[in-house]
Amino acid sequence: MTAPTTTTSVLPDASAKEVHAAITEGRGWTRWALLAVGLVAALALPWIVYPPIAMDIAAIALFAVALDILLGYTGLLSFGQAAFWGSSAYVTGLVAIHYGVPFPVAVLAGALFAMALAVPIGYLSVRRSGIYFAMVTLAFAQMLYFLANKWSDVTGGENGLQAVPKNFFGIELVETDAFYFYYAALPIILFGMWAAWRIVHSPFGRVLVAIRDNAPRARALGYDVERYKLIAFVLSAGLSGLGGGVFAISHGFVALGELHWTTSGEAVLITVLGGIGTLWGGIVGALVVVTMSDQLTSSGFDGIGIITGSVFIVVVLLFRRGIWGTGRHAWFRWRARRQ
Amino acid sequence: MNHKKFAAGTVALASGALFLTACGGGPSSSGGDFTDDKIVLAVLNDQSGIYKDLSGPNSVKAVEMAVADFKKKYGDDAVVDDIEIESADHQNEPDIANTKAQELYDRKGADVILDVPTSSAALAVANQAKTKKKLFIDIGAATTELTGAQCNKYTFHWAYDTYMLANGTGTSVTEGGAKNWELVYPDYEFGQDMTDQFSAAIEKAGGSVDGTIATPFPNDNFATFLTKAASGEPDVIGTMQAGGDLINVVKQYNEAGLRDRGIDLAVGLMFITDIHSLGVEQFAGTTFTDAWYWNMDEEARAWADRFTEETDTRPSFAHAANYSAALQYLEAVQAAGTDNADKVVDQLEGKKVDDVFLRNGEIRAEDHRVIHDAYLAKVKDADDVKEEWDYEEIVATIPAEEAFRPAEDSDCSM
Repeated sequence: MTAPTTTTSVLPDASAKEVHAAITEGRGWTRWALLAVGLVAALALPWIVYPPIAMDIAAIALFAVALDILLGYTGLLSFGQAAFWGSSAYVTGLVAIHYGVPFPVAVLAGALFAMALAVPIGYLSVRRSGIYFAMVTLAFAQMLYFLANKWSDVTGGENGLQAVPKNFFGIELVETDAFYFYYAALPIILFGMWAAWRIVHSPFGRVLVAIRDNAPRARALGYDVERYKLIAFVLSAGLSGLGGGVFAISHGFVALGELHWTTSGEAVLITVLGGIGTLWGGIVGALVVVTMSDQLTSSGFDGIGIITGSVFIVVVLLFRRGIWGTGRHAWFRWRARRQ
Repeated sequence: MNHKKFAAGTVALASGALFLTACGGGPSSSGGDFTDDKIVLAVLNDQSGIYKDLSGPNSVKAVEMAVADFKKKYGDDAVVDDIEIESADHQNEPDIANTKAQELYDRKGADVILDVPTSSAALAVANQAKTKKKLFIDIGAATTELTGAQCNKYTFHWAYDTYMLANGTGTSVTEGGAKNWELVYPDYEFGQDMTDQFSAAIEKAGGSVDGTIATPFPNDNFATFLTKAASGEPDVIGTMQAGGDLINVVKQYNEAGLRDRGIDLAVGLMFITDIHSLGVEQFAGTTFTDAWYWNMDEEARAWADRFTEETDTRPSFAHAANYSAALQYLEAVQAAGTDNADKVVDQLEGKKVDDVFLRNGEIRAEDHRVIHDAYLAKVKDADDVKEEWDYEEIVATIPAEEAFRPAEDSDCSM
């Protein structure tokens, strides 16, 4: 990075090259093997961990993947992603409560709302980059948080939106048993993952990477940088919304905390932990963070924050590419040596 | 759905396996009167955060004491020998509480979940109790919603609620001669509720609320709000802040010298652990409503001494209430001869109870509010404190029927 740029890449240089490599080279058997392994893992998850936790992992993984589109592939650190996760959760919950529609319809409504909300917010914030972009998105998310807190007739305020039903065509097993619900909701998550994968592997996704690496050059090549960023922002919001909607239905209620900035922060933490600009990193990060905090809550140990904080510090200091990124880096090196 | 073409094999494989467990899995009922031949009491509360001291791990100790007392009382006549205690930390997060409650009911075989402070978490657990048809006895949360619009057959509310706090302090202090009030409250559900209920109680008792001042939540600097509240020279300022915010209010109330100007301070929600952590001199003279006090009589004191042997600290009312709830649950199981939730609920509903915590107690059938005598307490002056934790003077006893919201005022329908 010699030329001065207006967009600051959040990735170290080496990793940026690897993202590029992953996009162009990942056409071999490794890609299919990874997808197959991922799919089997997704299907096997509720057999290994407690099903509601498995659902949390899946929903939060999608949230992190959605954030990664912005953070890893567009170079935008959104610190207000909770706005879309949370508002979708509320809209999903309200639609499910008041209209009694099957839950996938409610989740879709939530995600569409999140996308609609992302248009004005994105329009105003993509004109800024770096810390300013983070601050503007954070400000919008906090606005929504206070709005939801104040508007308690609709949202339940601090008490949360309670008793969200899991309507699913009257199939009782899905509506009452978290294990079957997981399989009913998993297609939504997988669709979101697939969409994210398509986005970053499309020509559109390559433009995003180009903007991330050198926005003036992308502009010089004739790309409307702001428009691309806005579209990425809206798509990311929609996918975050899918995750938030599933999360709300799975829990049967919406907590005010879904809109809080700590939720945005957790998404960033998970993505960085897993490895930014990898998509898989979000999934791995969610798996690690959710499982860890679940185990710790039952352990009787009262310093949960200390453990998660320490793990984060260790990963950021020693494995800057994140868990997935470090693994992939090692894999690339090993393959390069063999050739 | 591009995945399908390469995933079809895995899906078929997994769904085959899925059907296998569907037949084998599920909660097994042994056919006896007790699921798994045992009773599991689960304490779900804050074991690491701001409510750790007032309930937390020591509530688990209190429940252990209840189990020991139950076993001692019934010995070989007990309908069940195996009584286990589970606990989990919900970190005051409703999401975590929700998941943990499911796990406790489904995986740990919990027959009843106890405690659950933080209103949003308690409401989430109440909904799980309703879905799973298992008991939930809330102790730590304050919201009247639990016995109001969101009540259900399997949820009981044991120790206190916002109505009890507001009504007790508002009525007693006003009747004691402090007619003009200013209320300062944190601007969220709890604070708004408390302010409405305080205002109603004050006006009913013949006082007047001259102003209500909303503050951000959480907040550090209350100086301007207190100055504003004091400007009309009210008899008393009522603060609805809790926990860390309350400590700031009290500090700044003292720094502003408002007590010397003859403006008293009444606190909406306060636990003895708050007094302990800030020091009795800061709170001296403050009036509040307490559900129970460890040194209020011989019976309470004797229990508190036992508790102190186990924990090296004096019990808050939440600890005593956890003991009481666990004990009365076990008594109901003993009477019903089963852990079947519906039958245990039948035993509990309408029961009149007297124990170390519940005085003139009754488990109201209409809304599952557990009513009992409440107490108007005043924090002692530092000079009057004879031993550690000896912080409160009980000024008045509020009879059970007056202490809680009348059942007919609740919009609960079960």
